[in-house]
Amino acid sequence: MSDHAMLEIRHYSKSYGAGKKAVDDVSLSVERGDIYGFIGHNGAGKSTTIRAVVGVLDFTEGEITIDGHSVRDEPMACKRVTAYIPDNPDLYENLTGIQYLNFVADVFGIGAAEREARIRKYADLFEITNDLGDLIGAYSHGMKQKLAIISALIHRPKLLVLDEPFVGLDPKATYALKEIMRDMCRQGTAVFFSTHVLDVAEKLCNKVAIIKRGRIVASGPMEALTEGHSLEQAFLEADGDE
Amino acid sequence: MNNGMVLLKALLLSTSQRNIYRHTKDKKKRRRIVGNAIGVAWLYAVIVAFSIAMCVGYGKFGLIRAAPTLCALMISALAFVFTLFRTNGYLFNFREYDMLMSLPFESRTVAACRFLYMYVRNLPWYLSVSLATLVGYGIYARPPVAAYPVWLALSLFLPILPMLAAAFLGFLIARISAGFRRTGLVQTVLTMALVILCFSLRFILEDVFRNNRVQAVLRTVSALTGNAAKGYLPAGWFADAVARLSVPAMLLLVGASALAFAAVFRIVGRSYRRINSAMKSHAAAGRYRVAAQKRRSVVAAIAFKEFRRLTGSTAYMVNGAMGVILALLVGAVALVVGPDRIIRAITHGAPIDSVMLRPAIPYIVYFFTGMVATTACSPSLEGRNYWILQSLPIEKKTVYQGKMLFNLALTVPFTALSILCLCVASKAPLLDSALYLALGAALCAFSTAWGCVCGIRHMRLDWENEIEVIKQSAAVAVYMLPNMFAVMGLAVLAVFLGTKMGPRLPTLAMIAVATGAAALCYRRVMILSRRRA
Repeated sequence: MSDHAMLEIRHYSKSYGAGKKAVDDVSLSVERGDIYGFIGHNGAGKSTTIRAVVGVLDFTEGEITIDGHSVRDEPMACKRVTAYIPDNPDLYENLTGIQYLNFVADVFGIGAAEREARIRKYADLFEITNDLGDLIGAYSHGMKQKLAIISALIHRPKLLVLDEPFVGLDPKATYALKEIMRDMCRQGTAVFFSTHVLDVAEKLCNKVAIIKRGRIVASGPMEALTEGHSLEQAFLEADGDE
Repeated sequence: MNNGMVLLKALLLSTSQRNIYRHTKDKKKRRRIVGNAIGVAWLYAVIVAFSIAMCVGYGKFGLIRAAPTLCALMISALAFVFTLFRTNGYLFNFREYDMLMSLPFESRTVAACRFLYMYVRNLPWYLSVSLATLVGYGIYARPPVAAYPVWLALSLFLPILPMLAAAFLGFLIARISAGFRRTGLVQTVLTMALVILCFSLRFILEDVFRNNRVQAVLRTVSALTGNAAKGYLPAGWFADAVARLSVPAMLLLVGASALAFAAVFRIVGRSYRRINSAMKSHAAAGRYRVAAQKRRSVVAAIAFKEFRRLTGSTAYMVNGAMGVILALLVGAVALVVGPDRIIRAITHGAPIDSVMLRPAIPYIVYFFTGMVATTACSPSLEGRNYWILQSLPIEKKTVYQGKMLFNLALTVPFTALSILCLCVASKAPLLDSALYLALGAALCAFSTAWGCVCGIRHMRLDWENEIEVIKQSAAVAVYMLPNMFAVMGLAVLAVFLGTKMGPRLPTLAMIAVATGAAALCYRRVMILSRRRA
């Protein structure tokens, strides 16, 4: 196993124009097998950080590496091992679900038999197999979210990045996704996700970072951060401390 | 298949009407697709008929040799204009940017595929011009057999260079704008300036050609197109390749297109992510303090929402507000240089003066201000946000009244100001000027209400890119085409009647007609809003 972290963010900052810094000097490290929760208020800088990690947002300050590759200098090497599920997936509305999954599978060069098996497995799990022949435009928000999750899992990423993944999912799908995340971590995949559902983060994550107004105010292993209390208490303390 | 081809295929499939037709269960949607296909086929037929008629005219007057150059110029001009208005929205700042950029595509692959997608989508329009001109050329010029495949093959390359030029200009604007905090505003201003420059260049070029014509020995259309081919080299290469089967000319057109494509997307790829990041992010000062808020009526609140929608989108602003800005420019230029000089420039020295043209002033101004009515596209522009209006306790008619109020607020002041400038410049009597102002306002009212009728009847909410609604929608086409042709006819009629019976009676009559038509359209809007409630 290589010695570098799966995701390493060092002194990352992002400001828009002459406005205030949306993210200020964020550093964190996600190891293989970690489920890393990224917690903060709305507008705290979670999505800005995540979008820079997955290579969507340009940045000038700091460094982000995935599996030892720089997101800025080697974006392709990073993207090949990463899967991203946005909070509000904008998918091609006029493709059918199956056409979209095939598109992503084609991009990652997944073989026909392999893709069929994975699509079958995850579509059954999320109960959207019957809907894959319909246009995405006809899907509900939850169904689009499920399709985005399946497309993210289709190429077995080493790093799974999710922005508020549980919003819009029904309880069964939420449970399925949590199980998938745990299962992937057991196989060495790193999961980095943002949420404001503290209960989920507490039960699911082994590490957590709390971001407030663009700055990390607390981070580390869950046990060390909560010190026997609940994550909610730790979050409220960190929120009030700054 | 490489990733670029996979992406291009997905882009094309994602907007393929055939794909939607095959997979949708919505019968209304299917009917609309069939209706659109018939409309598009009709437009193709009109373009083909126009191109063949042009060639027949050329053949009759013995000018058929100029047909290849003219065909190349027409396709190039179409390609340049189509691309210029669409760069923002197709190449940059599109909805699925996050999804695509998180996948393993190079930035330049994404940019190039978006460009190629635009190219493939518009190719049938360019080919319809090319094929129809080839038919006429084949009949009258009787070229060697080899000229046909050369013509067809090179037609595929003709749009590339002008499209690349327009895309590169769009890129430069986006690149400059990305350096500013108010990216959208800077981009809107620069794009508008570029469009106005292009409009002006048309007149400058015409003037150049006219001067050349006066001085040149050859006073024929062939000489004019020859000049154009010298000015725009690809048109000359195409003409040489077709007429003389010149291999170097063929290689030049193909090679220059390929090289320019590679060069442009190497440059664009370098700052693609930076530009899109700037466009999709919004500066957050985070220093807002709640102060006294302004209360508006429901109609005014909707009108204000429409104002923010217009100013918040470069594509919408450039298309929706260009007409009123051009109208104002025409008025200002008339004031500065005098109307007679403009008339001489436009009518190529025909014996017409500003006094004769005075009755046409409201129509000239309306030609610009009525070019696009925001009411024709704003119902569709609600798109996925339509639920907001649907869930609010507002009647549909109130929504449309708000949209109409905004269009009036946008067009009436500019129309009035432009008419005033032209009246002052042409020294129109006070009473005439007042009548022209009244007619201008009546025409604006008609345009607003007629646009709204078209907008409601052809409302389409499931668009992927707002350009589809602003420039390519059935609502805009149905609104614009008859409106523009009618106003040109009315301008000629007004001048003719003005010379026979003076300007006042025809203007008064037209005020009554326009007001009546506006009232009828408004009534129709109210009926439609009840039906679709």
